[in-house]
Amino acid sequence: MSGSLLWMTTSAAQASPWAVKTLTDRAAEALPSSPWLTLAYLAGSLAALGALVSFLGMSLIYVERKLAAHFQCRLGPMRVGPHGLLQTVADSIKLLLKEDIVPERADRAMHLLAPFLSMSATVLALAVLPYSPSLQIADVNIGALYITAVGGLGVMGTLLAGWSSNNKWSLIGAMRAAAQIISYEVSATLALLVVVLFAGTLSLSGIVQSQAAGWWIWRAPGVGIVAFTIYLIASTAETNRTPFDIPEGESELTAGFHTEYSGLRFSFFFLAEFINVFVVSAMAATLFLGGWMPFRVGGLDGLNAVMGLLPPGGWFLLKTCGVVFLLMWSRWTFPRLRVDQLMRLEWKFLLPVGFVNLAAAALLVLWNLYFFP
Amino acid sequence: MTVRIRTLEEIVRPPQTADSPFSTQEYFVNMGPQHPIAHGSLRLVLLLDGETVRRVIPAPGYVHRGIEKMAESLTYRQIVHLTDRMDYLSALMNNWALSKTVEEAGGIATNPRIETIRTLMAELQRVQSHILWWGVLGMDLGAFTAFLYAFRDREIIGEIFEDTIGARLTMNYIQPGGLMFDVHPDFARKVKKLIVYLRTILDEYDTLLSGNAILQERLRNIGVLTPEKALALGCTGPVLRASGVPYDLRKAEPYGVYDQVEFDVVIGSRGDCWDRYYARIEEIRQSLRILEQLIDNIPPGPTMVTKFAERIKIPEGAYYGQMETARGVLGVFLVSDGRADTPYRIHFRSPNFNNLWAITALAPGWRIADLIAIQSSLDLVIPDIDR
Amino acid sequence: MGRVNFRDIRREERLLGGKRIPVAVLPRLSRNAGVWSAARSLLRSMRLTLHYLVRPSTVATRQYPENRATLKFPERYRAVLRLVEEEGCHRCAAACRLCEKSCPNGSIKVISRMGAISGKVELDRYIWRQDSCTLCNACIQACPFGALEMRPDFENAVYDRRLLIYTLNRYAGPPASVLHKEENPEARRKMMEPRDRYGGPVPANGYFLPNVPPLGGAPGPDAAAMDPVAGKGEPA
Repeated sequence: MSGSLLWMTTSAAQASPWAVKTLTDRAAEALPSSPWLTLAYLAGSLAALGALVSFLGMSLIYVERKLAAHFQCRLGPMRVGPHGLLQTVADSIKLLLKEDIVPERADRAMHLLAPFLSMSATVLALAVLPYSPSLQIADVNIGALYITAVGGLGVMGTLLAGWSSNNKWSLIGAMRAAAQIISYEVSATLALLVVVLFAGTLSLSGIVQSQAAGWWIWRAPGVGIVAFTIYLIASTAETNRTPFDIPEGESELTAGFHTEYSGLRFSFFFLAEFINVFVVSAMAATLFLGGWMPFRVGGLDGLNAVMGLLPPGGWFLLKTCGVVFLLMWSRWTFPRLRVDQLMRLEWKFLLPVGFVNLAAAALLVLWNLYFFP
Repeated sequence: MTVRIRTLEEIVRPPQTADSPFSTQEYFVNMGPQHPIAHGSLRLVLLLDGETVRRVIPAPGYVHRGIEKMAESLTYRQIVHLTDRMDYLSALMNNWALSKTVEEAGGIATNPRIETIRTLMAELQRVQSHILWWGVLGMDLGAFTAFLYAFRDREIIGEIFEDTIGARLTMNYIQPGGLMFDVHPDFARKVKKLIVYLRTILDEYDTLLSGNAILQERLRNIGVLTPEKALALGCTGPVLRASGVPYDLRKAEPYGVYDQVEFDVVIGSRGDCWDRYYARIEEIRQSLRILEQLIDNIPPGPTMVTKFAERIKIPEGAYYGQMETARGVLGVFLVSDGRADTPYRIHFRSPNFNNLWAITALAPGWRIADLIAIQSSLDLVIPDIDR
Repeated sequence: MGRVNFRDIRREERLLGGKRIPVAVLPRLSRNAGVWSAARSLLRSMRLTLHYLVRPSTVATRQYPENRATLKFPERYRAVLRLVEEEGCHRCAAACRLCEKSCPNGSIKVISRMGAISGKVELDRYIWRQDSCTLCNACIQACPFGALEMRPDFENAVYDRRLLIYTLNRYAGPPASVLHKEENPEARRKMMEPRDRYGGPVPANGYFLPNVPPLGGAPGPDAAAMDPVAGKGEPA
């Protein structure tokens, strides 16, 4: 359960000085086995989770709006709070106060359930992300597999939403989303497997610690950058962002699968999308950019000392924000792909490239043909 | 408001035989008048088979305001301000169409200064209209940034109009007998600055959208309109020219000072969405050429040859005047019964009406996303369809 | 075989209807030359948006109302109709109603009276309906005395739409040309009868609705006739 370091025992250039201690470990140690205290802890953690999700979602939405504005030569939110910092707070309050509508002939139970499915899939993924050596909620030893599996749950929410809305446009959006997400999961997994091959472990903290000698994006020559690109493209499609946002293509489908949602349950979809962006960016940072590992060059002690000034949590945040910026940048620049072009891109291009990449990675691992093996 | 379309009853029949292992059922969807990023209040009834469009039935009429009926009780000068509101992106050209028809019918001769300024304003408006169309096309296809860039550049032209005319959208500037005001002293300077600025901006547009591989794949070979079909449907303007027919009223039946300037008529070679797209961008460049040639050569003279209080007498009969707006040929059919100042009947042959029905010929067989691309490339302004 | 760039436009001449027309022929768009050129085109467009991101000086937004101090609209901008004032006197010389006739949708109502002192027809009330005016400028063109102008004062929003129908002239009386000839300020003031903004027989002013009190000022003598519900006056 705790971050065990049983992976490659060969001569690593630098043994990792980071010991990972997850929050579940701390809880297990600190809590006496009293049911009331456990319940209190549970309630507290639920509240903390809610706070984290809301804060993360609101900040990301604000950043997206400001970035979009500046890409488009305008200012974005400026009035609510200094430079519009409280805009998303105001929007959240507005959404909470809105009337909750279930269409008359919609499948009521499914309609009410769908946002929760989407949200829960996202929140479950947040649990295993390695934010820093001392701040990881749980370190499952199949972390990467877990993230892939849980990501697949999200499509259930989309499908349910589209179907239960009793609206042909929502249904079209949901069908497109299902096809798109299921297809691109394959490519994302193939890219992820490259890193797993190199790191030798599925556990996310293990993957981070395996990058002590260098980040996989460059340390795995060639295959690293290809896998990174594939992972980014697949993640953009997974999170329904332009150029893959046909499920909610506004000019075509009004709002796609979440047309008939309003109020709190719409905000669930909305938040889930943005936190999904955070999750895939965090995964990209963890897998390819070293997670919370600082940028170090072997030998340059001065540089390493400066880089070490930023705590590992800060490094994680920095890298994740960098990838989030990349995703947002491409969203506001590109037009969207048509559904069949999207499928063709995945099945005829990304998948074969991913397979070849994986095979090449396997060969590189076998023959130790990478930096600092 | 319900529109009863008789053809729907013929179409809706249970599928008799399944000629494929999967018998798919076709279904109707309304790409209805309320749509977040539709071009206006246009209702398109789509018969879909999965993602493929089998039939498109436009049901226009949601923006009908009875302009032609209102015109029967207004004077010619008052009708001009109504024409602003038809194809509001070519407001000045609409004004000019009516003014031209009234002048030709009533035997009012204008002077070169008036015609030059009218040509300048029309070309500026054409540039403005095409820039907005480009932004809207980007937005329809998912590149939201294009919309904002287009509006930023459109602002500059809007400010030029504001200085001279006093309004940005509903101009009412080109009147029978001349112009409402003389050009502002800053006009020439600002237009010259604009020409330089727009030439670099067009390269930016090419970088953002035209050169973008995704957009090219979205538009290439989609919705090919053959020249015969285009002529049969009565399409005019860039839609017709992209199919290869070099029919531009500015060259075919020149008015204004178009016969004194050099410019090319832009035609496409395939007639697909891409040709309609790039033809308009190239038309902006040609319009800039015209502006360049005219801006320093405005002859002196008065800008109004008739007095406002003078009544316009058009002899009894039917008259037709036409001109090339940003979207095609706008024709004004005027029937006068000899009364001074008021027509008996005015009918506007609107370019968007004919271009709209091109959708019914082009869209079937393509997917929904292609329908959007085709509709964007046809550049429809809905109030002009309905008047 | 070189690939044709989409910007390679050929200049030719075509014949149509007996005329030679210079045309610019667009090339057929060729299929993308492969992954690398597609990727490069995508990266180029990303570079353009980044160019605007890192230059805050390119922001085109002007923050209203923070910029009201420096906000200047062009002089000719049409936002609101006003009577031209020359030292507090309007120029409407004869209440000739040419503006009322030229208005396409009846947004002007000119009420005239016989001037007691001057003995000529004068302006009593000049009622303008801002809620239906399309700012087409026909009235200004029609007026032979130049009594009207369009001002660029655009801040006219109100919470009650009855406030959009009002009287433009501040006094009923002769125009500036007559008043300026009168040297004695007392006599001048006698010729000018002040007029309030919202009174008078304005159609729909007060909207004689059952539970709605009429707007400020008593309705004028013709109010009953103007009432669209009770009287037989003009429709609102």
